Amino acid sequence: MKKRLLAMLLAGAMIFALAACGNDTADTTSTPTAGTNAETPDDGTETKTVKVGLICIGDENDQGYTYNFIRGKEAVTEALAAKGITVDWQVKWNIGEDSTCEDANIELAEAGCDLIINNSYGFEPYMLKVAPDYPNIEFIACTNQASWTDDLPNTHNAFANIYEGRYLAGVVAGMKLQEMIDSGEITADQAIIGYVGAYSFAEVISGFTAYYLGAKSVCPSVTMKVQFVGSWSDASAEGNAAQALCDAGCIMISQHSDNTTPATAAQNNGAFHTGYNNDMISVAPDSSLIGTRIDWSVYFEYAIEAVANGEEFDQDWCHGMDEGAVVMTPLNEDIAAAGTAEKLAEVEEAIRSGELQVFDTSTFTVGGAELTTCLALDTDGDFVADSEEAVFDGAFHESYFQSAPYFTVQIDGIEWLNSAY
Amino acid sequence: MHESNTPLIRLAKRDAMPKGQVWAIRGASFLVAIVISALIFLVLGNNPLSAFGTMVAGSLGKPTAIRQTVKIAVPLLGTALAIAPCFKMRFWNIGAEGQITAGAVGASYFALFWADKLPGPVLLIVMALAGAVCGGLWALVPAFFKARWGTNETLFTLMMNYIIIGVVKWLQGGPWEGRPGSQIIPQFDSAAVLPKVLGVHCGWIIVLILTVAMFFYMKYTKQGYEIAVIGESENTARYAGMNVGRIIMRTMFLSGAVAGLMGFVVASGADNTLHSGVAANVGFTAITVAWLAQLNPFAMVGISVLLGVLDKGADTLQTQLNVPASISDIITGIFLFCMLGCEFFINYRLIFRGSHKEVAK
Repeated sequence: MKKRLLAMLLAGAMIFALAACGNDTADTTSTPTAGTNAETPDDGTETKTVKVGLICIGDENDQGYTYNFIRGKEAVTEALAAKGITVDWQVKWNIGEDSTCEDANIELAEAGCDLIINNSYGFEPYMLKVAPDYPNIEFIACTNQASWTDDLPNTHNAFANIYEGRYLAGVVAGMKLQEMIDSGEITADQAIIGYVGAYSFAEVISGFTAYYLGAKSVCPSVTMKVQFVGSWSDASAEGNAAQALCDAGCIMISQHSDNTTPATAAQNNGAFHTGYNNDMISVAPDSSLIGTRIDWSVYFEYAIEAVANGEEFDQDWCHGMDEGAVVMTPLNEDIAAAGTAEKLAEVEEAIRSGELQVFDTSTFTVGGAELTTCLALDTDGDFVADSEEAVFDGAFHESYFQSAPYFTVQIDGIEWLNSAY
Repeated sequence: MHESNTPLIRLAKRDAMPKGQVWAIRGASFLVAIVISALIFLVLGNNPLSAFGTMVAGSLGKPTAIRQTVKIAVPLLGTALAIAPCFKMRFWNIGAEGQITAGAVGASYFALFWADKLPGPVLLIVMALAGAVCGGLWALVPAFFKARWGTNETLFTLMMNYIIIGVVKWLQGGPWEGRPGSQIIPQFDSAAVLPKVLGVHCGWIIVLILTVAMFFYMKYTKQGYEIAVIGESENTARYAGMNVGRIIMRTMFLSGAVAGLMGFVVASGADNTLHSGVAANVGFTAITVAWLAQLNPFAMVGISVLLGVLDKGADTLQTQLNVPASISDIITGIFLFCMLGCEFFINYRLIFRGSHKEVAK
């Protein structure tokens, strides 16, 4: 026993010695360096360094929500490098929506970040516990909404008008359905869309309603069934929901959930599909028509550049196609209806110019009647909207009063198969 | 015995080992853990020295870091204390996870619906009591079945975990949900939040008091003695006239109540809300803490702090040296494995084939 002990101790000592030798090499670069925001002269030109913390609910392997943030992160690093701003990222992966998120915010603040980005809705309450203690650090809660009520100057919210991208995806889907009706492949009442939704949450409702309206604008007879799965990311549940929708007669599938299983289920059933967050053509080449995603690099560039220059930036930011914050993934020309690309360009331009309103109240009914009033914001914390009329100028104005979506109306033509979630 | 029939290695129970030797083995196992972790850092391309330095600095280097480390250690310690009497009784309660969650549910009910009806301190006391009672009742169910019908407590307590976590998921998406569809229960009113003492929620004071209380309970009370007797031999206990079933239920209620109290501490002090992951695997890790401490409450303090340091340190490591996030689990696993493994060598010795002289001795 004693001999073995000695051997182990020796082995340990040797490893330490080895490690000590290795110390002088490139490893030293990984040790944290002090002095953020320091302006280091570089061949006469000045470069600024901004230390940015990013707290993620998942990691890039999800190929969906967090992956989309990482794409934004990489794109903005490149874009800002061209402007002479170096971004030093500190990323926390797989953080839960609980006090570990508070710890992550503290950790990044203590590590000297100038800006801390929280990427999930449920992070905000924990971020708000840390933000008052670090008034010189800017905190961002993506997709959430408290910055306009929390009285803190250093908290921010951001989202993108993803409903615009949904509407365009809906146009692509509607054109395909209309083409099938025109060619006699299906009858007009067989044009049914199946939608796999995560939860009956405003962001999801707003998204599928926009999608439906896009489809309806080019295929008037279309109807839609929505199946909620009760999870933002559950590959098998999403696949099962898509399968159930196909079995119920849906011939076009779309989704607000993280995985590609709805796309493969659609392909297996000979249905078509439009995606979210990611280009899904590679997993379902015979089925996936197009996808839409938020390009977070647009907002990141705006926020980080402001921090680098010591400027203030919006506490509640929301843009869409006007600034390129919402983008479409490539159109699958092989299977899309003829003329889709041209129509897509036309509608996109109409949205960009403001000529077309996605939630135009003349295009849908609620309980058989036109929507004339709907409040947007909840100011007293009871989770029922109580102020700001969102319906004016002939349209419901989504993401107008705050970045986080607030459209929760159930419109005619969309059937909720389950609302338990 | 003929040489060829002897297995290559045999195990034999050791006689009591001198204290010094025991601690030498424990120290060595700690070193081995450090060496293996160092190897992993090397494989990942980091300098082990700076990695360990980062871990220590990240968990103990600054007041904010120490606070976070303490915050991790508090529920671990409290839950290890909860489990201790059960294990002493050789009742394998692996349902602390569920008992924490049940306690959190009880406390959250009052935090959500009574915050405006009760004055601050009273509200917190009611929440703590509700947490303890709910955790205790949740633990009482398997204890009752065990005492009455001799069911397997290991499986029973384990299954109870999943039931209560399912209940919380339902509450999160159903009756207690905040913003529709968000699956998030609103943050508690500030009156329902445990006050901070020295920058950490005062749960740390509660667990330190519990540590002393549990030490006296197990060592110096009649009930503590009964628990020890049942743990040694149920038949002896019966012969001595103890009502074994009653003692099992009483001890499990106590165990569940302490775990439930931890549920209250976590929900009120750390998260300020209820969610299905409120126990965050503490109920399982605490088993290791209790076992490593050999059910000694004071040793549990050191071990839960050590785990807190490892956990927080590995977290800092991830941010500062960009090592994968799962490194935290790997390093913690290595330390636990080595430390638990060394207890094996303290209790048993290996006899190799051919080493007759040693056996003969």
